[in-house]
Amino acid sequence: MSEDGGGGWRRLDARMLLVHPLETLVRFLPALLAILVFRASSDGSDRWELYAVPLLVAFGVLRWVTTRYRIAEGQIELRRGLFTKQTTTARLDKVRTIDLTAQLHHRVLGLAKVEISTAGGQHDRLVLDSLSVDAGRRLRAELLHRVDPAVTGLPAPTGAPVAVDEVPGDAPVPADDELLVRLDPTWIRFAPLTVTGLASAVAIVGFVSQGFSRFSQERSVFRDGASWVSRAPWWVDVLLLLGVVSLLAVGAYVLTFWGFRLTRNRLGTLHTRRGLLTNRETSIDAARVRGLRLDEPLGLRLVGARRLKVVTSGLLREQGGSDWLCPPAPAGVVTPLALRIRPDEAAVSGPLTPHGPAARQRRLTRTVVPAALVAAGLVAARLLWDWHGSLLVLVPLLLVGAVALGQDRYRALGHAVTPDHLVSRHGSLDRQRVVLDRDGIIGWKVEQSFFQRRVGVATLVATTAAGHQHYDVVDVPVETAYAVLAQVSPDLLAEFA
Amino acid sequence: MWHRGAVEPLDASDAPDAPVPPLRVAESVLREPAHRVSRRAVVMWTVQALVVVALLLAAQVVWWLVDDAPSRTPHWVVGVVWLAAGAAYAVAMPQWRYRVHRWEATPRAIYTQSGWLWQERRIAPLSRVQTVDLERGPVAQLLGLASVTITTASAAGPVTIHGLDAPVARELVDTLTAAAVTETGDAT
Repeated sequence: MSEDGGGGWRRLDARMLLVHPLETLVRFLPALLAILVFRASSDGSDRWELYAVPLLVAFGVLRWVTTRYRIAEGQIELRRGLFTKQTTTARLDKVRTIDLTAQLHHRVLGLAKVEISTAGGQHDRLVLDSLSVDAGRRLRAELLHRVDPAVTGLPAPTGAPVAVDEVPGDAPVPADDELLVRLDPTWIRFAPLTVTGLASAVAIVGFVSQGFSRFSQERSVFRDGASWVSRAPWWVDVLLLLGVVSLLAVGAYVLTFWGFRLTRNRLGTLHTRRGLLTNRETSIDAARVRGLRLDEPLGLRLVGARRLKVVTSGLLREQGGSDWLCPPAPAGVVTPLALRIRPDEAAVSGPLTPHGPAARQRRLTRTVVPAALVAAGLVAARLLWDWHGSLLVLVPLLLVGAVALGQDRYRALGHAVTPDHLVSRHGSLDRQRVVLDRDGIIGWKVEQSFFQRRVGVATLVATTAAGHQHYDVVDVPVETAYAVLAQVSPDLLAEFA
Repeated sequence: MWHRGAVEPLDASDAPDAPVPPLRVAESVLREPAHRVSRRAVVMWTVQALVVVALLLAAQVVWWLVDDAPSRTPHWVVGVVWLAAGAAYAVAMPQWRYRVHRWEATPRAIYTQSGWLWQERRIAPLSRVQTVDLERGPVAQLLGLASVTITTASAAGPVTIHGLDAPVARELVDTLTAAAVTETGDAT
């Protein structure tokens, strides 16, 4: 924390001056390498790229000088820019979540980037890059807990004091935070079973193999390795690939979730902390939580695992897993955890109402028709262009797989209404059960396509300000859709009944 | 004070038309919204459909000019198919839409029905309304029409009523705004 500029204005931490040139350097590393390679092959002695260094430093200093923030009159204000002064303000009671992210270089310097979200959109975010970790945590405490910083056990910030009147006098220190879940290292075994884990692994494999193929021209090690792989029987290759992919998925899991910890403070604020190299802390105001999402992707389901996410306003979906309340873990851990956050047994783990034969028919049509088309294509290819006959083995596999998938997708469909929640479940490969607070629903849609009207089903959509903005009860009989609507929003329906 | 039914349709054609068959969706507990949109909305949708068809036919003309092959048969076949499909679309879609599109506002909620192949009903309580917009495109202005969009805190929840008579739309906006102002809180 640096000097107070009057009016309660605070600056970013001066150590950010080191962070920005470093980040810029990393971003332009490919360009710099290209310059170096080019330089090596030419005779010029003019080191013009060095001129960029003072520019970078000056830019960083300018940013540090012009960026200020303060908490005053129930608002947080962020001011930046030299020529075009830009002031962003947010009312404290609109703050939904706060993220503290510390990448490796931040951690070396004891810094953290603070991101304050006030609503669902990108433009509603205040980013402070960077504060010292202590200042960041103190700011978070001020914003989210709205308490006298003295009770947080840290030195008071230099800013103006914030509203203390709503805090009970006997406020306990954060040491009383309730630990809800902590990562058990044995859960890492679930890493290769999730789609996200596999996708990141495949991306890394693709990236690395491209790099290898470039080097393989010269390096005999790679060439020998490549020829060994191509000589080995196919099942060895498959095993090798599976092994590499699993290892990489495990690596990604460890990087993201190492030290994962979910706590809840006395005000109900959920607080997660995770990451091996990049440390990320997310705080979610309890008043903004609108429900839970239990994910059961096929891979996890087969081994009895689940993962838990929170449905809240103010978190960006694309923001790499900030909404995770529990990484892939045994159902025996996740279900009780969900019950501690939303103590509604029927909603979290109770049975759901199935959606009936029309929904089953539609699930099967959607899986079998594309599979049948592909199968027909294979047969046609065999007959017309004389493709290899062994490909025809795929035809029955495809059809059986499609029927199984359709059945499983139907089994997933279901909904329930409990006194506090609307529950909806769907999906097979990526099955999810959403437990949505009834008072978080701010509108309804009943959608029917031409084919849905023919078989008398509809998709009931509950719109909300949180999470995905809408949660759907898919292919439910029309009468049931309106019955659910009537049960959850009786006054709304009474207006038009 | 605003009471239910204050926004009465001004257009005489908004009265329920006898020959229009009921929708299947109406066979449920929820009745249809009370008001139809303006009859002139059919003209607006027809114009919009014709613009789309004209663009497709322009692509056809470009193909005619660019193609060097001596045979013009494929051009005629594709052209006739497009023309038939486009004409069917321009005739059927606006009528179909007009039969579906309905709306109703009460002091507590807004309720709409829209679409043609894909149909939907939307209900939003006015306590959750954040903004009310009135829009008039070029065609709508010529026809004296307007559309009203009611936004809630959910990105998935805007409720739009197309093809309202401009005075009806303005009155609706005024009453909705008045109703929304009386509610406090951040509507999430």
